[in-house]
Amino acid sequence: MASIAGSSLSMQPRSTLATTRASGLRLISFMNQGRNSLSFSLRPTPARLRISCAAKPETVDKVCEIVRKQLALPSDKPVTGESKFSDLGADSLDTVEIVMGLEEEFGITVEEDNASTISTVDDAAALIDKLCSEKA
Amino acid sequence: MKIQINGAFPYGLQMQNLRETHLWYILPDEVKRVALLKQYSELLSPCERENVNRMGGDQLKKRALLARALVRTTIARYQTNCEMNPRSLKFRKNIYGKPEVEWQTEDNFIPPPLHFNISHTSSMIACGVTVNVPIGIDVEEKQRRIKNNVIAFARRYFSPYEVELLTAISDPEIQRQEFIKLWTLKEAYVKALGKGFSAVPFKTFTIRFRPKALRSLPGSPVSEASEIIIDSSDDPSILTNNWQFALLEVAGGHYASICTEKDKSIGGEGTMPMKLTVRKTIPFVEDVCVSGTDAVVALGGIIEQ
Repeated sequence: MASIAGSSLSMQPRSTLATTRASGLRLISFMNQGRNSLSFSLRPTPARLRISCAAKPETVDKVCEIVRKQLALPSDKPVTGESKFSDLGADSLDTVEIVMGLEEEFGITVEEDNASTISTVDDAAALIDKLCSEKA
Repeated sequence: MKIQINGAFPYGLQMQNLRETHLWYILPDEVKRVALLKQYSELLSPCERENVNRMGGDQLKKRALLARALVRTTIARYQTNCEMNPRSLKFRKNIYGKPEVEWQTEDNFIPPPLHFNISHTSSMIACGVTVNVPIGIDVEEKQRRIKNNVIAFARRYFSPYEVELLTAISDPEIQRQEFIKLWTLKEAYVKALGKGFSAVPFKTFTIRFRPKALRSLPGSPVSEASEIIIDSSDDPSILTNNWQFALLEVAGGHYASICTEKDKSIGGEGTMPMKLTVRKTIPFVEDVCVSGTDAVVALGGIIEQ
């Protein structure tokens, strides 16, 4: 899932998990005189674009559970990774409570600049995975 | 299609002279007619309609619809020259994500320096409007219960002074109410600043009440029970005395906080009262000025209604 970092996402300079950010290695395939060639080029990743892996399914599930509880959603209301908190009826107080619930559940601290980038369940789960991996 | 809005008059001109703050609100439970909701729906842009439809469930859809309808019809009232069609208004977000009107530039059309901010809870949708100065509002149900313990929540998100203040309240119900009031005040401030929540985390500023001697005469429109002031713990040089607040209880069950930037062009010492007019509305149906009635109770701030 690509996430545009901009100024609001705080990026830790040392990331222990290489897969959570684009390494700058790009695979380019092109046709050259009828032959397929593969060329590797090492290019610095633009500062504003980071590719993060999809969040772990179990993290997504846990986030869904916490969101359901906070918003007291009936069991027939679907909550998936793509669900936007605001579409589920969360206001800002709900969102802050959800973040607090995630902090307690996963033993992490979510700073405001990170919290402000979360709008979907997937966003939250990806951030949790990232923060957990940095903790480890 | 020109839309007649009952009671529309050149607010814009009046407001510019008098530097007022206006608060408009809808009570969703009062809006039931399907035909009316359809009329509102026709005001929305395709993008807004899409957003409404994405909401999960009828109640949330209705709330989202009423919010957009309120913003559009409210802003359309504030025209100096001609009636504006609420459907033709365009909106955008500033670089921090705060919604604002994108005025269409036409010959001879000088866009009014209108600022607005909306907030909604399940039983009230509100829109605050000012001229020349930024505004932020937040409304919350008085009975709102949070899932976490109030003090645990405050420790995590509020300033030490605020935590101390809340901890000192022994009655849990009063503690909860004071918490909700503080939440709405802090939200209103951050929304007025318009730089997003990460720019000024809740922990970095303190909102408190400074009692004033009750100078106002009975029947006076000015409430001066307490001034609401804000301190920045992070950076004392931040001009936090640029902002003034009003805390109200509206329509019985709601706390509403309003934060506006003080208008510098008004000289003099001390804080000029916030000249506030509160109106309950059902767009296209009726507007009722509720200022001075018991639908609006001033709880804090220096307010003239």
